[in-house]
Amino acid sequence: MLNKTMKKLLSAALVGTMAVSVLAGCGSSAPAAQPAGDAASGEAAAVDTSKEVELVLYVISDRPAGQDVVDENLNKLLKEKMNTTIKINWIGWAEYANKYPMLFSSGEQFDMAYCATWLNFANLARRGAFKPLDELLPTYAPKNYEMQSESALKQATIDGHIYAVPTLLPTYITYGSIYRGDLAAEAGMTDDIDTWEEVEQYGDWIKANHPEMEVIDVYAGNVELSLQWERMQGNYEIDSGNRYIFYDPSEEHPTVFALYDDPTAPEFYDMCYRFGEKGFWSKSALSDTDSTKTQNGKAAMRFHNIDTWSGYTVLHPEWDFKYGVMTSDIAHLPYTQDCMVISNTAQNPERAMMFWDLLTTDQEVYDAFYYGVLGTTYELNEEGQFTITDPDLYSTSAMWAARTFDLNRNQAGVPESYNTVRAEWEKNIQEGKGTERFTGFVFDTSNVTTQLANCQNVRQQYGWPLELGYVDPVAGLAEYKQKMQEAGIDDVIAEAQKQLDAYLEAQN
Amino acid sequence: MRFFKDFAEEFKAHKALFAMAAPAFFLVLIMQYLPMSGLVLAFKNFRYDMGVFRSPWNGLNNFKFLFSSGTGWLITKNTILYNLLNLITSQLLAVIVAIFITEIHAKYFKKVTQSVILLPYFISWVVVGVFVYNLFNYESGIVNSIMKAIGHEPINMYGIPAAWPFIICAFNAWKWTGYNSVIYIAAITGVDGEIHEAASIDGATIFQRIRYITLPSIRPTLVTMILLQVGRILRGDFEMFYQIVGMNGQLYNATDVIDTYVFRSLVTNPDIGMTAAATFYQSVLCFLIIMVVNAVVKRIDEDYALF
Repeated sequence: MLNKTMKKLLSAALVGTMAVSVLAGCGSSAPAAQPAGDAASGEAAAVDTSKEVELVLYVISDRPAGQDVVDENLNKLLKEKMNTTIKINWIGWAEYANKYPMLFSSGEQFDMAYCATWLNFANLARRGAFKPLDELLPTYAPKNYEMQSESALKQATIDGHIYAVPTLLPTYITYGSIYRGDLAAEAGMTDDIDTWEEVEQYGDWIKANHPEMEVIDVYAGNVELSLQWERMQGNYEIDSGNRYIFYDPSEEHPTVFALYDDPTAPEFYDMCYRFGEKGFWSKSALSDTDSTKTQNGKAAMRFHNIDTWSGYTVLHPEWDFKYGVMTSDIAHLPYTQDCMVISNTAQNPERAMMFWDLLTTDQEVYDAFYYGVLGTTYELNEEGQFTITDPDLYSTSAMWAARTFDLNRNQAGVPESYNTVRAEWEKNIQEGKGTERFTGFVFDTSNVTTQLANCQNVRQQYGWPLELGYVDPVAGLAEYKQKMQEAGIDDVIAEAQKQLDAYLEAQN
Repeated sequence: MRFFKDFAEEFKAHKALFAMAAPAFFLVLIMQYLPMSGLVLAFKNFRYDMGVFRSPWNGLNNFKFLFSSGTGWLITKNTILYNLLNLITSQLLAVIVAIFITEIHAKYFKKVTQSVILLPYFISWVVVGVFVYNLFNYESGIVNSIMKAIGHEPINMYGIPAAWPFIICAFNAWKWTGYNSVIYIAAITGVDGEIHEAASIDGATIFQRIRYITLPSIRPTLVTMILLQVGRILRGDFEMFYQIVGMNGQLYNATDVIDTYVFRSLVTNPDIGMTAAATFYQSVLCFLIIMVVNAVVKRIDEDYALF
């Protein structure tokens, strides 16, 4: 354990961190982590690694067949570098919803886990599932800590403590149309399809010329037209789990509103009804569970993010998938979109943090961890892009939080525009402007859990059928609104407004 | 203290019997009774670092989501009605099938029939869900393909909630009839063949034999089966409903049961306390219902009661 000098150094580092966070709170945009990072880096080297440690890491995905080969290679490397081995446990996609929260309630001893906003990071943190990292992160992962941006750390901070190491790979709040370039060219549409008029024009053409295809890919649990509509107008959702409450980040003091109260809502639902009548999607879409329609050529268009698109381009280069950006204000996604947490039962949190520091700064370790064994599970081309040798053996790690901007490699075959578009976004994003001003905001739902549970249900029961044009747009909208109010959405909005105001207050 | 004295005497007298019962006793104790203490979660604001028993109390807050929007009554009603409907159809069909099968004397035909009827039991609801979608899908479903072929307008089954109780009931019966009938077949074959022979010789028709010999002889089995099912009357068969209806909100008013509602409400913002509250609600109601029904059965005929 820690000796006395260590403890002193630690508290020095802590004081440094606190001082910085106070300064940061005053709105200074100085490189935040500098002092704490310096104080910490000296001692990190002095940490005793003479005892061999096996770390246990949980990730969510189905265990690949080639994991053993990857583990062997990685552990040889880690043993050499820091006298540590790592055991990766997998929670399959079919069971993660039940099993993931159980990890923390069962008292099982493990060190690290993948976590994310969609795995309810904030909720779990608030309920004491993780170890606070206020000391651990700057002390044992100083290099990683130094690279963390101010807003990333703010997102990882719940009730005053840092509970996660956020990803170092920026991802973006974007939504847009992923569509078939080959078909669009046939239809004579060479410009990007990035307006609703163009979507309709493309849809009409598909319907007339390829009636066997579904125009817009909709399936159970994936009704995203309203999200696309709001993104197009530059509005942003209060919480990624509750995408029916929005605000306009461009306003000085944004007002939180429900989707149905957006002034453009009637226009939106009219459009949906029209699209539905035209047969752009199935009348039974809500019972369809096929999530692969676009990538398999059964559907002609889908609204989703840029990474989904780049995945499709690699799968089917011959279809020339194109991406029409339909988000008017692009900002970074919360960095806790992918993050690493230390379990409150961890036996070796110090070593886990050291491992994380190495993983996110050392290309050799990163490659061995993320892509596996060169020549066996992946190949590299001259540009350093990777190709997966056999997707059935091993593709890439499911610990997505380990990705960093510097170490991450592109997959060979992704069109150049993937990089140029993202570089463009990065250039245009201004710290503290528009949506970017709110990336640090985390909605604490603990006061309104009852209402949220009810609203969630109403959205599925009344919102989705309305959004797919299965019910009359005027009467359906009125019913949806009434049910939402009965479910207590006004409490949720009031709570969200209060927290958003407090967030802005703290910024100024 | 009378009880303990009696128990000690009993124990001394029948050591071997107690030893034999012990594994079952402890199994039930550990697997069934100890976990019940977890029901306190229904009244707690669960925290991972404090565990089940040290988490702070939360009053009745966890129950609110079930009732605050008026859905609580609807889903309770749906759950009970679906279970009653399913209970009646699947048991009735099972009895009829069992009688038919035992009356068939052609050996191979009997075996084949029985296997075919039993087969659906082994098909998972996930697969059944795919069947249902491919039957009723508006654009390319089998039903609508037939409709179009005979020149009829296609039917949007997913837009008619009233049809779904029947569809669900039909699939439930299809899946369970064969399995339940096995139990009745066992009961029927337990009847002494000589009684049937004697009745035939006395000139009883096949229907009279069924009415006066077979049915009375399976009555205890039937009552026990029904009582066992009634004990689960507030538990919706989650897999069945979830796979057949899925996320199709248009059908919820007609198809939502407690289990699906809880799953859907909490899947994005999970809360162990609220889930426990729903289970607690179901368990308490089930307990009350089974006590009442059992008491009624006891009134009518003591031999048939469960306890």
